[in-house]
Amino acid sequence: MSFFGSLATVSFYAVLVGVLAVAILTVTTRNLFHAAIFLAFTLLGVALIYFFLHAEFLAGVQILLYVGAIMTLVIFAIMLTAKIGDPSMPQSNHQRLPAFVGLAILSFILIPAILKMPWKTEDAFQTTNAVQIGKALMGEFVFPFEVISLVLLVALIGAIVVSRSDQ
Amino acid sequence: MFGWGVIKGMLVTLKNFILSYFTKERLTTVQYPEERLPVKERFRNFPFLIYDNKPEDLRCVSCDICAKECPPKCITIVRDSDEQGKPLKRPKVFDIDFSICMNCGICEEVCPFDAIFMDHEFELAKFGRFEDLNYRKEDLLKPAEHFAKIRPQDAARIEAKRRAKAQPATPETKTQ
Amino acid sequence: METIDQVFVLAKRSLMTWAQSFLPEWSTIILSILISVTAIAVFGPVTMMYLTLLERKLVGRIQNRYGPNRVGFWGLLQPIADGVKMLTKEDIVPTNADKFAHFLAPVVIVIPALLIFSVIPFGRGMIAVDLSIGILFFLALSSTTTIWIFVAAWASRNKFSLLGGMRSVAQMISYEIPMVLSIVPVLLVVGSFSTVTIVEAQSGWNWFVFTPWGVVGFLIFFLTGVAEVNRTPFDLAEGESEIVAGFHTEYSGMKFALFYMAEFMNTFSISAIVATMYLGGWQGPWLPSWVWFFIKTYALIFVMMWFRGTFPRLRVDQLMGFAWKFLLPLALVNLLVAGIWTNLSTPKNNIVSLIILVVTFNLLYWANRPEMPKKRTYRYAYADE
Repeated sequence: MSFFGSLATVSFYAVLVGVLAVAILTVTTRNLFHAAIFLAFTLLGVALIYFFLHAEFLAGVQILLYVGAIMTLVIFAIMLTAKIGDPSMPQSNHQRLPAFVGLAILSFILIPAILKMPWKTEDAFQTTNAVQIGKALMGEFVFPFEVISLVLLVALIGAIVVSRSDQ
Repeated sequence: MFGWGVIKGMLVTLKNFILSYFTKERLTTVQYPEERLPVKERFRNFPFLIYDNKPEDLRCVSCDICAKECPPKCITIVRDSDEQGKPLKRPKVFDIDFSICMNCGICEEVCPFDAIFMDHEFELAKFGRFEDLNYRKEDLLKPAEHFAKIRPQDAARIEAKRRAKAQPATPETKTQ
Repeated sequence: METIDQVFVLAKRSLMTWAQSFLPEWSTIILSILISVTAIAVFGPVTMMYLTLLERKLVGRIQNRYGPNRVGFWGLLQPIADGVKMLTKEDIVPTNADKFAHFLAPVVIVIPALLIFSVIPFGRGMIAVDLSIGILFFLALSSTTTIWIFVAAWASRNKFSLLGGMRSVAQMISYEIPMVLSIVPVLLVVGSFSTVTIVEAQSGWNWFVFTPWGVVGFLIFFLTGVAEVNRTPFDLAEGESEIVAGFHTEYSGMKFALFYMAEFMNTFSISAIVATMYLGGWQGPWLPSWVWFFIKTYALIFVMMWFRGTFPRLRVDQLMGFAWKFLLPLALVNLLVAGIWTNLSTPKNNIVSLIILVVTFNLLYWANRPEMPKKRTYRYAYADE
């Protein structure tokens, strides 16, 4: 099975490189609409990585929420607010140097942190169990759950109030 | 009950679907070209010249009335003449151009000799526009039995009229 | 009967043992995956082609005519003729269109339609991948379809396409909520997402459609499924007489064929999932399991095509009103009733749930009645003389 293990590793790295490439395309393309499409692919790639890591429930939820709902929202927002006459508004960036400086500082902090972290998992993994998540949400974490639903309700009502024309 | 109208509509469609396999009124397609709808008697498409017994005995005397009355002028007639040049009561050339003829039937209505009638043939598509669509005299001749077969009532009426005209007139008693 | 039931599994197993004799050790898993994937990749488009023929013949019979019956005996070669026509058509892309998105949309929209086939249990032991999140996978993939319809509409740069695309997206996201809510009672009762477990929980004759919450859940799921696939009567987005052709106006040839294929594969997979969740999947006496599965799926597809032949299109405000004002409250109450049903004992739970459902149904019907316009009175200027 060593060939098979290496096949899995190779394909995992290939998927990682693919997702990284699409993510780079997302932030460097000039057309805003294309950037949204590439973002949808990036999120699908992240779901694929979750599948590789045996977190199937999380992958399903990622596709359902991110790609199904949030990307729809993002694309609607782009469509309704962008200047429709000019599809390829050049998104040129005149602030490259400050961006690189910020990136350098961040990586200076993050990369040693990632390298020092003990990533080994000794105990066998449990695949995510939806029943356990449900029980935890209703048992231990019921208060944050209800608060989140209240926040969503307030956001909905606020959006309706803000977008209503004055009559 | 809520939704009853929906269900009634669906039952109507289902009845139509199932009975279309059994009854003929619910599946009215005619599978052309294997089956054809029968045409009505006065259906007119393209004219034909009529002859009585032999193709040489055609009733047309080349009087040229149909060519003069034809609205798009698709009929071309040339009168026949014998060896000395005396004109005969027969056409030498009788051409009808199918690409011009508009199937109006005026030639049939004005012919005083009952020589030209409208046929029921409509499957007349050809490949050549100029060479195949010009119908000459030989293509247009059809026997009187054909006329009686496709238009029985009109044929009966016209035959009766011709027989009445062909009999010598009975001498009428003169009233003083 | 046992061998007929398992004929596909036995065929695959014998193919594997035959292949293992000359292939190395590590390739057995790859081969097994390849066989399943090839079976689905062949089955999907072939099903779609013959579903188009079935629809045309069925709708034709409802409309007093034959369907296509010229091309092959009974029209069986018609889909091949359609395929050849679509392949040889000129591929027109409008000048102002966004070429990248215009190309990408039909390609990516077929992917979820094909991927759903991998979690459908076609028979006892015949499922491509027994994911532990089967139904969640199906829900996730069917919700990704909305973006690509919108990308297709936007990339065409055509006002009709955009309008059709926006209506279609609005319809799909509004009907997703009752769909998810009508799946949840089944998950509540079974306790697992896996489709195989759901089918096995309906063994014998206790299919979920025979319970009070099951009837309502089945109806809601079926209706929202029809709306998700953009079929009549919910096909305002692509109705031929409404809005030219909606979001796929500017697509010709093979791209249009891909949209068409995605729509029909979605029809099949939604019917299959409804049959799995509520009608008992492949359960049934005496016939092989995959025969039962296909009978149930094709019965539901027949009902979908029957709807197409019977109903006029719903207007967009009637469509959205139906989803938000009727189906959503009913689905919420259905979920509550399923919870009550699970916890009470046998004769009492049916009665209580029936009463609650009937009351809610009537209440929603009464609340959603269309207003009758008031009786008009006319006044003429010289009426007083």
